[in-house]
Formats: sequence, C-alpha cells, structure tokens
Amino acid sequence: MADRVPLLSVEGLCVDFEGTRGIARVLSGVSLSVAAGETLGIVGESGSGKSMTALAILRLVPDPPGRISRGRIVFAGEDLAGVSPQRMREIRGNKISMIFQEPMTSLNPVFTVGAQICETLALHLGLRGEAARRRAVELLKDVRIPAAEERFGEYPHQLSGGMRQRVMIAMAMACEPALLIADEPTTALDVTVQAQIFDLLRDIQRSRGMGLILITHDMGAIAEMADRVAVMYGGRVVEEGATRDVLERPQHPYTRGLVACVPDLDAEFPERRALTEIPGLVPSIWELQEGCPFADRCAETMLSCRTAMPPDARVADRRVACWQRPERVA
Amino acid sequence: MTHPVLQIEDLRVHYRRRRINPFAAAQVVHAVDGVSLSLGKGRTLGLVGESGCGKTSLARAVLRLVPVTSGSISLAGRRVDSLHGAGLREARRGMQYIFQDPYSSLNPRVRAGRIVQSPLDVLRIGDAPSREARVAELFAAVGLRPEQRALFPHQFSGGQRQRINIARALAPEPSLIVCDEPVSALDVAIRAQILNLLVRLQQERGIAYLFISHDMAVVKHMADDVAVMYLGQIVERAPSRAFFRAPLHPYSVALKSAVPSVRGAGATSNARIRLAGDPPSPIDPPPGCRFAPRCPVAVGECHQTLPALREVAPGHAVRCHRVEAKGGRVVGPMPT
Repeated sequence: MADRVPLLSVEGLCVDFEGTRGIARVLSGVSLSVAAGETLGIVGESGSGKSMTALAILRLVPDPPGRISRGRIVFAGEDLAGVSPQRMREIRGNKISMIFQEPMTSLNPVFTVGAQICETLALHLGLRGEAARRRAVELLKDVRIPAAEERFGEYPHQLSGGMRQRVMIAMAMACEPALLIADEPTTALDVTVQAQIFDLLRDIQRSRGMGLILITHDMGAIAEMADRVAVMYGGRVVEEGATRDVLERPQHPYTRGLVACVPDLDAEFPERRALTEIPGLVPSIWELQEGCPFADRCAETMLSCRTAMPPDARVADRRVACWQRPERVA
Repeated sequence: MTHPVLQIEDLRVHYRRRRINPFAAAQVVHAVDGVSLSLGKGRTLGLVGESGCGKTSLARAVLRLVPVTSGSISLAGRRVDSLHGAGLREARRGMQYIFQDPYSSLNPRVRAGRIVQSPLDVLRIGDAPSREARVAELFAAVGLRPEQRALFPHQFSGGQRQRINIARALAPEPSLIVCDEPVSALDVAIRAQILNLLVRLQQERGIAYLFISHDMAVVKHMADDVAVMYLGQIVERAPSRAFFRAPLHPYSVALKSAVPSVRGAGATSNARIRLAGDPPSPIDPPPGCRFAPRCPVAVGECHQTLPALREVAPGHAVRCHRVEAKGGRVVGPMPT
C-alpha cells in the first residue's frame, strides 16, 4: 500500500538510556507507520522494545535516564520528537491515547470510576458537573458496561478485570483520539473476556476510523486484530508487513521461531512432538554488540551477522532486516 | 489392581467469608464443589477454566495447602485428605507443586542451590552429602549449570527461575506434580523450552502431571485427558483427543473458540461464540446449571435443575442437559 497516508510515522527512532554501565541503546532505528482506521500489531518478547516504542511515541520515556536521541515521530504532520512539553500535553490523551496492561493498577483505588473519567473530561474538554457526568455515563455505555449509571459511582475494586479494562478504554476514548495505543490490553484477562475486549476495540476503531497500535506477545492476538505487524527484537524492527503474509510466510528467522514455538489449537493432533524452541534468552540491553541482535540465538548465523546490523530489505510490502534474506522476500 | 496416582472423590473446598454484619448468615464461597478426578501414572490431566473457577483451590487442596471441606483425595491408593503432621509430611514426598509466578515463588534471599535442596531438608530425605549431590544432578536435569547453585534468584531470567521451580519440585522424586499455570508468566519463546522440559522429564521419570492452564492450546499440547471447570464444578471431562475434536459442553465450545488462532484469522473470529459477561459469583451460585445464565443455548430446564456429570461416551463425561445421543453419535447443543 504505497499510497496510504500514514497517521503516524516513526522514522529511525533511537532511544538511549544512561546507566552506571554507560549508555545503552534501547531502541535503535525503529521505523513504523500506522494509517487511520488501521491496526498495527507490534509483537516481540519482553525486553524487545515494544513498550518503549509506545512510550517514546507519547514522549513518556523517563528522562533522565532515557532520551530520544535520534529519529522522527511524525503525527498528523507534526514531529512529536521535537515539540514542547506543553504542546505534547495537548496531544497526549487528546489525539493519542494509551491503555495499559494492568487494569488493576492503572486505576486509582480511592476514587470512584466515575470521578476518574470526569477528571479526564475536565482536563481535556473542560466538561464539569452534570455535563461531565452525562458524558462519562455515555462513555461507559459505549464500552458496553451494563448498568452504567450504577457503575459510575463504584470503586475499581468492585469491578472485575474485564470491566476495569473497559473503564480504561472509556477513559482513553473520552477525547475521541485519532490514535490509540494498547499495550498488552488483554494479557491479564481470561480468553473469553479477551475476546470481548477485542470485539469492543475493533468496533470502536471501525466506527471512528481510529488508528490502533496493539502491542502484544501473542501471535494469535496479532492474527486476529492486526492489519499489519511489526516484529521487534533487541530494540529493532526485524520484520514488518501485512499480517496474513508475515504469519504465513515469515522471513526473518526470529519471526519463524515465534510462529513455530506456539502450540497451535487448530493443528491436527500432534503425536506429542516437541515444540520448536528458540534457544537462549533475549540479550540484555547492556550486552547488545555490533551486528544483528538475534545472531546469538539464530540457527543461520553467518559472519556478516556478527559484524554489522543488516539493513532493511524491502520487497513489495514487506520489510526484513536479515543478511540471509535480502532478495528472497516474495 | 494398581491404584491411580491421584484419585479425587467428590471434593469440596468452601471458604467462609468474614462477616461484616454479625447477625447476617455467613457467606460461603463454593470454590470447589463436588469434583471427582483420577490421574494415572505418567499421564497428564489438563484442567482448564476461567479465573475464579476453582482450579487453583482444587490444586492446592490436593497438596493439602488449603483446608478440605469434604470428599476424599488418595495418592496411590492412600488417603491424604485427613493426614496431619508426620504422616502428611511423608505423603508430600509423593506430590509437589510448580507455581505460576517464577518471581514470587522463590525466596530472593536464598541461593538457588538451597532452594532446590529445601524439600530434601524439610522432608528429611538423605544426608548432607547426598542432598548436595542430588541438587547438582537436578540442576543438570532441568538444563541449568551446577555452578549456578550459588546464584540468587534475581540473577536468573524468568525461564531459568521456572527451571529452578521445576528442580525443586523434582527433588523428592514425586509421583505427582501439580503444575499451576507453569508457563503463563513466561515469554512465548521461553514457554516452548519449559513445556518441552516438562514433557521430557515426564517421559524419563514417569511423573503424573495435574496441569492447570487457561490456555487451551497449551493444554492440547500437554494433556492426555482434559477436565473443564466452571464455578467449582467439572462440566466436561474427556480424553484430550476426543475433547479437542468435538467438545460437547457449550462452555467448552465457547472457551475453545475464544482462543485467537494464528491461522485463518478472519474466519475463526467471525465464527466465534461470544460469552457475555463474567462468571457469576461462587458465593451464591445460580440454581440449576451454573453456566445457564451465560449459556447461549440454555432452555427452561437448565435454569431449574443442575445437570449431573454423566458419561456419554467411553471416558467422556459432560454436565449438560442438552447433550444427547442421536443415531449412535453423541451430539452437543452447539456446533463445533
């Protein structure tokens, strides 16, 4: 899709963290884009830089010790990497919202759900009193919370995990953002509730033409929700493309490992075959050296993998960063 | 006749809630409400269900980590539900537990070697030199280096910590290990390593696993038999193969269809059966079938009488009024 106009485009984003052991590059040259009405999935293991990318887009990287050292974050024609904190505060929550993994800890336990939604409405839209209350109840109804009027006056501990995540979504939707970033929104929830939350996100997105970035480690969730997927490893995007295409014909050895190591519920009954393992561990950010970050765990490592980071090879709609696969992307 | 490794009959675990009003009747949480299960040597029984369905209470009751309200638990034919003191300690040699969270289940102040050795110390197995040798051997068995015994838990990754947990569970050479969501806190790429390790250890040592998970795909991979729990009761119990080919209970069908699949994304998502709402409270379970309030195919009868768990095919039991035999085939009320 060469002609799609991205809502957000991240180009060559680098984030550095300064620590006692020197400077660690947490993100190095991350490029992504998401269009209005499109869902971009970001998948990878813990420590691959998924959440850091989200935080950097919202300029929420703790500074110090973190710092956006290079790259552009272009949102609706504006480079967020360079705007003032005041301007960023206008965008954050208004134009770009985020929902977090832990619906248990993201809500303040000593305020009612209604009060917390009204706070958002007062801050961003200047709504107060009865007007704020009415809008908050509407939002709760939008996220399909039954008996919204009663829920308005309840405290977070009175709600189930799924309900709390709905409240978080209601708060994120308060200003009708153009882009929603959902960081592992269903990891703490049951599969049946996860299915409800995914339905809800999909419906909201369709009705409002919102862009959605879904961060997850679950390939199934990616297959279900995302139009495009970016696979992250060691602070880099190692493969990116249309979801169906990437999952069916993964090119990067890491993507292939990720797809193969998950037990498949739809597979014919396996005779207790061993699952494909990706040996080893995600490297610590302090251990990243020259070359491809996956080289130590990869079965196809060759000399050039150790010496230089492979550049992005683009063929058609696919982007792969692997020395083995410059041409073979079909 | 040989006894199964684990035999549970009509187990109940009820918790009394603290009363706020001293004149009100005490509320009772029916966490496990009449569960019967049996698990043979070297086999894996997968226990699935949503959070709050009583999986963990059941698992903990087996190891006598929570009080048993009624019912019987037998380990290799020997009743363990009423043991105390030395008798219980002796019985625990035969059963061990792998916890869900590899971070909170290891004492951060104790070195890994000592953690793995602790069951040997507590259960008084062997003498000091033999315990140390055993720990070194266990480290090797779970894929850790023996010299890592001197490290503290924070120096290990999540997957390695789960290996320490597994080594600790293996230490007294149990015939049964209860695995309570052993991989749900781990990264996907690490899950495969741990699942493969569990399978290999089972094949080498003939250990039986009571394998608790909410992840249907993991259960399908691991289990020989499957039991589905809902609000403290078993709603379906079957050999894994039969279960995954055609689950019969509407809850099993819904649970299976809620799992996002890597293959054929769009197709499964449209055909999915949506369950509305959350499971009702186990304090005041609904009369009749406990699943009826959320069941898409419930009829009048379902709201009035609790269906019995009945065997509809060899080894396949289901608790649903609407499962019937048609022309020699058992048919569930929902398309699968």
